[in-house]
Amino acid sequence: MPPRVLLGLICLVLLPFPAGAQPDYSRPVDVAPSEDAIGEGYVTPVVQRPLPLSAARQLLDLALLGAALALSAWIALRRRSRSVGVALTLACLFYFGFYREGCVCPIGSIQNVVLGLAEPAYVVPYFVIGIFVLPLAAALFFGRVFCGGVCPLGAIQEVVLVRPVTVPPRLDRVLGAGKWLYLAAAVGLAVAPAAYRDFVICRFDPFVSFFRFTGTFSMLLFGGLLLGVGLFVGRPYCRWLCPYGALLALASRYAWRSVSITPGRELDCGLCNRACPYGAIEAMRAVRERCLACSRCYHSCPVHRVEVEGPAS
Amino acid sequence: MSGMTRRDVLGHAARGTVLAGLGGMCGFLAVKARGTDAWQLDPGKCVNSRLGALGVDVCESCASECVLGLSAVRAVNELSQCGRCYVCPAYYDVTSAVGPDGLPSEKLCPRDAIERYPIGWADPDDPANNYYEYVIDETLCNGCGRCVMACKEPYGLGSIRLEVRHDLCLDCNRCAISTACPEDAYERLPVS
Amino acid sequence: MGAEAEYREARSVSGRGAGPDRFEHALRGVAVDTQGHLYLAGDSEVKVFDAEGEMRHRWFTSRPVYAVAVDGEDVWVGEEGQVEVYEVGGTRLDEWRDGERLGLVTAIGFTAAGVLLADARARCIRHYDLEGGWLNDVGERHRKGGFHIPNGVVDFAVDADGVVHVANPGLHRVERYTAAGELLGRFGRFDGRDPEGFPGCCNPTNVALASGGRVVVTEKGGPRVKVYDAEGRLEAVVAAGDAFDPACKNMDVAVDPDDRIVVADPVRLQARLFERVGVAA
Repeated sequence: MPPRVLLGLICLVLLPFPAGAQPDYSRPVDVAPSEDAIGEGYVTPVVQRPLPLSAARQLLDLALLGAALALSAWIALRRRSRSVGVALTLACLFYFGFYREGCVCPIGSIQNVVLGLAEPAYVVPYFVIGIFVLPLAAALFFGRVFCGGVCPLGAIQEVVLVRPVTVPPRLDRVLGAGKWLYLAAAVGLAVAPAAYRDFVICRFDPFVSFFRFTGTFSMLLFGGLLLGVGLFVGRPYCRWLCPYGALLALASRYAWRSVSITPGRELDCGLCNRACPYGAIEAMRAVRERCLACSRCYHSCPVHRVEVEGPAS
Repeated sequence: MSGMTRRDVLGHAARGTVLAGLGGMCGFLAVKARGTDAWQLDPGKCVNSRLGALGVDVCESCASECVLGLSAVRAVNELSQCGRCYVCPAYYDVTSAVGPDGLPSEKLCPRDAIERYPIGWADPDDPANNYYEYVIDETLCNGCGRCVMACKEPYGLGSIRLEVRHDLCLDCNRCAISTACPEDAYERLPVS
Repeated sequence: MGAEAEYREARSVSGRGAGPDRFEHALRGVAVDTQGHLYLAGDSEVKVFDAEGEMRHRWFTSRPVYAVAVDGEDVWVGEEGQVEVYEVGGTRLDEWRDGERLGLVTAIGFTAAGVLLADARARCIRHYDLEGGWLNDVGERHRKGGFHIPNGVVDFAVDADGVVHVANPGLHRVERYTAAGELLGRFGRFDGRDPEGFPGCCNPTNVALASGGRVVVTEKGGPRVKVYDAEGRLEAVVAAGDAFDPACKNMDVAVDPDDRIVVADPVRLQARLFERVGVAA
């Protein structure tokens, strides 16, 4: 017996009727002709119910997410190589983005989780709990490695960034507050009473229409605009809008280990500062809350290159 | 470096607290969690199939709101409940003019997704005396719901209803049809 | 085409409610005797109303009733698996139980020497003699499953000559048989626009006979009551449009001795009487 999605019983007899008029639609006899009456060995075909989503697929996704987080942490903290990091980013963009079409993602899972906490009847599937917690746990230990190597929304912005422009720090701070506002709005609307409830993170997900290759005009326009801005400004969604980024920023503040650029051997040259498109480097240190673990700083650091590639001759 | 600085201790404490908090929250949610969910629509709420909603326009939200080009919702004919009538009000547009063969001249489905063929023993003299199977071709159907409304009691037997097809559904966290449905007929149901 | 007669609603009897003269869930059968008394069968009860609309008798049956017919002084009710015979005061006289042949009795008729019982489960009509012995089936020549009845009710009426007029909704016609099961003729065709035809998937649902060989039918899905003459031509549309709630289905019908048409309204749970007012040329 193949697994089926449980439906409410289609019991015509018991369905409620508008007040007053209530004809008796009960069926003491079968309405369909019997197979005997139809004759010639006819057998009523079983109506196909398509197989539901398999739990194995979700388990695989969770395992891959964990592996990608671990890999991203290793790349950002140990291997420190931009090219390997880009490879991981592209792989995750392909798998979590275009193949799995970017849904359900950890950003959206915030809504499910808060609704699950607020509403007793609402059930959050195991998978969604998992994808909510894994990147946060990774951030607690290694910083925003989810953003750097794994998140497909970040990845799609990464690949269009061609000519990074530095955003003035004060503007960056002000815009950065947008993450918190969006988070507050998303949480508020997720737990609102059913008539007003709206998963706005999903509704305004700018890049999911690209992953699905289909979407409303407004969704495509919003995504297109962000990518257009993202040609020159590094990851506008991640830095200024992403509500999950706000949580990750908070978690990474207590990170056990995080991106550190040749600690103890800084030349004070400022090359890393200029290389970082996200304004995450202050006083030669990567600021944990803003660092997206992209490994560009290592790539530009002369000390690190000497260590890795050997002295220039 | 021997021993831990106060900063390290505070760091560990903070991480531990946050982890504990996360863990507690996970535990709370996991207690009531289940494997996986899928979107499905309740035919008792859907205005196309719900008894008592007569003389109303067909609601085509399932066909128009899905983020996919061709909606993941399909009309399904529950054959064990189908009357196998000669003139099916979901197959034919029974208000259209009658053709020379005594059958309505027009079909109801705008995409011609229903297939009709006689089953069982065939009466050689009288085609009306046969039973006909009505099967909906799921590659053509877009879930517009017209046949569902036309089959509803008392016009028909209500054997057709709309269903979300899970091999097609993207399982969006925020189902666009669910948000647009005027009867709030969509819910996430456990997959068993 | 012929002259079209006009009808208007005269009065209604009973209704939905909890009172002794009302029904609570369903009104499934209506019959009229030679004195014009109305016999209404619904829920698990039979209620008898006189010509002025006052309730004269009521009694409970042992099972929910699906049909009622009057033969002289006897009231026959059709149920699931059996028919019961009562005298008008409510005393039970007899019961014919046959789980196999009487799956669900939705119509009862009488010939000179026998009783005809419609079985909605097998979709045919069973012919019995007056002692309860089964004689033959009517309609089993429609394949093994009898008439095409998707709506769950087989209805027929017997005229004075013993000819059985059966509604065959799946084929959109009214057929005439002898009690022995021989097909004599039929009329009717599908038509969703012309009122002469039967619309929708399965109409007419119920049938009764009026004087002069006229046939009265009721339809669902656009509920209607129509009268056809003895040749099968449409004579009148008694009521249509807003007269009935659109949810009405399987409206039982009977004709009283004054040719008033009595329709069992399954939404209002009333017997509604329509009388002819004149002839429009």
